[in-house]
Amino acid sequence: MIDDVLAAPAATDSQEDLLDRRSRAVIAGIEAIDPAFVLHLASSTLKIVLDHFISGLGARDGRRVFAMPREEEGICIATGLELADSRTVLIFQDNGIGNLLTALLTLPQPYHVPLFGVVTRRGGLGEYNSMIHTISERSEALLDAAGVRWFQLDTRTPIDRWAVEIERAWQFSRTTHRPVFVLVNLMGG
Amino acid sequence: MAIERADVLRLVDAAFPDSAIVLTLGGTAREMLAVAGRKPNHIISLDAMGQTVSLALGLALGLEAERPNEKLVVIEGDGALIMGLSVMSTVGHLKPRNLVVFLLDNNVYLATGGQPTASSDMDMVAVAEACGWATGRDVRTADELAAAVAWAGSADGPVFIRVHIGVAQLKTNYFLEDPAVLAEDFRRWLKAAQ
Repeated sequence: MIDDVLAAPAATDSQEDLLDRRSRAVIAGIEAIDPAFVLHLASSTLKIVLDHFISGLGARDGRRVFAMPREEEGICIATGLELADSRTVLIFQDNGIGNLLTALLTLPQPYHVPLFGVVTRRGGLGEYNSMIHTISERSEALLDAAGVRWFQLDTRTPIDRWAVEIERAWQFSRTTHRPVFVLVNLMGG
Repeated sequence: MAIERADVLRLVDAAFPDSAIVLTLGGTAREMLAVAGRKPNHIISLDAMGQTVSLALGLALGLEAERPNEKLVVIEGDGALIMGLSVMSTVGHLKPRNLVVFLLDNNVYLATGGQPTASSDMDMVAVAEACGWATGRDVRTADELAAAVAWAGSADGPVFIRVHIGVAQLKTNYFLEDPAVLAEDFRRWLKAAQ
């Protein structure tokens, strides 16, 4: 299945092709983790990724995929799932990082519960919203201030490494018994 | 005579000795410790209101397949539930059959001095049912409480039981356990129970 989702069309420089290639790489990384639960928030830039898990090849028997109405609720549900030893991936946008900090720092972080999230970047190159950068540009600073470990995937990392790095970041959350996020730039830059 | 919080906690602990019990923070957790002692099947949310039912929902979903006959019990307060009320819709959508929520509703934020919550104007059971929960009931007397606790053990969930309680509090000590220890004890209990 990973080969299927990585079978992207020929690359061009268009925004759509960039979004498609990077989304497929993210899908491949998450599929390599093989989560039993995928929790997601609404996001237009994540549409390709979410479609895969909600109604595409990733919507398989034995996997539950559902929306979390807010990031903090998703953090708490995922903490419960991880305590029950259920493999879980959260998928959401960086403009929701502010919402989740209290839950993250009062539940999985101090309770030493591994948690893994794929966080899509907004507010950079290719952005179409004139306001969202005011929160999104501060994502790294917010996570650093909170002591939350994160890794970044953007144009500096070859696209054929993304899936491997996503899986390694998930493993790192197990190794270090704490939440780990991968920030993925699907829009450019 | 009003049902008091400690009465509910004693009954729930006794009725669900082999079930995971997720406890909201503050006086509720401390009173459970006072009446039942430290139990490995009890996981306490030590801080931040509005998280308990969400945490329990994750546990319920994760344990549903392996422990289909065991309930996942939650003790939540009205103020805390209102802080994370969206979880009512998520539970109603996902419908974990093993989830039982006891809402201990005293209409106030008791731990912080008794400020009123909005729950006195809310029909919480109706909210649960409108969100898609399997069933729910209000409890106002000791007899109703005993019946509801027995019923909760066998009813298909998600079950929502709103217990109208008074504001009496047991005098308790602060609970200063390391949360990492709480989580590890709970994990080990889960593994041993499987």
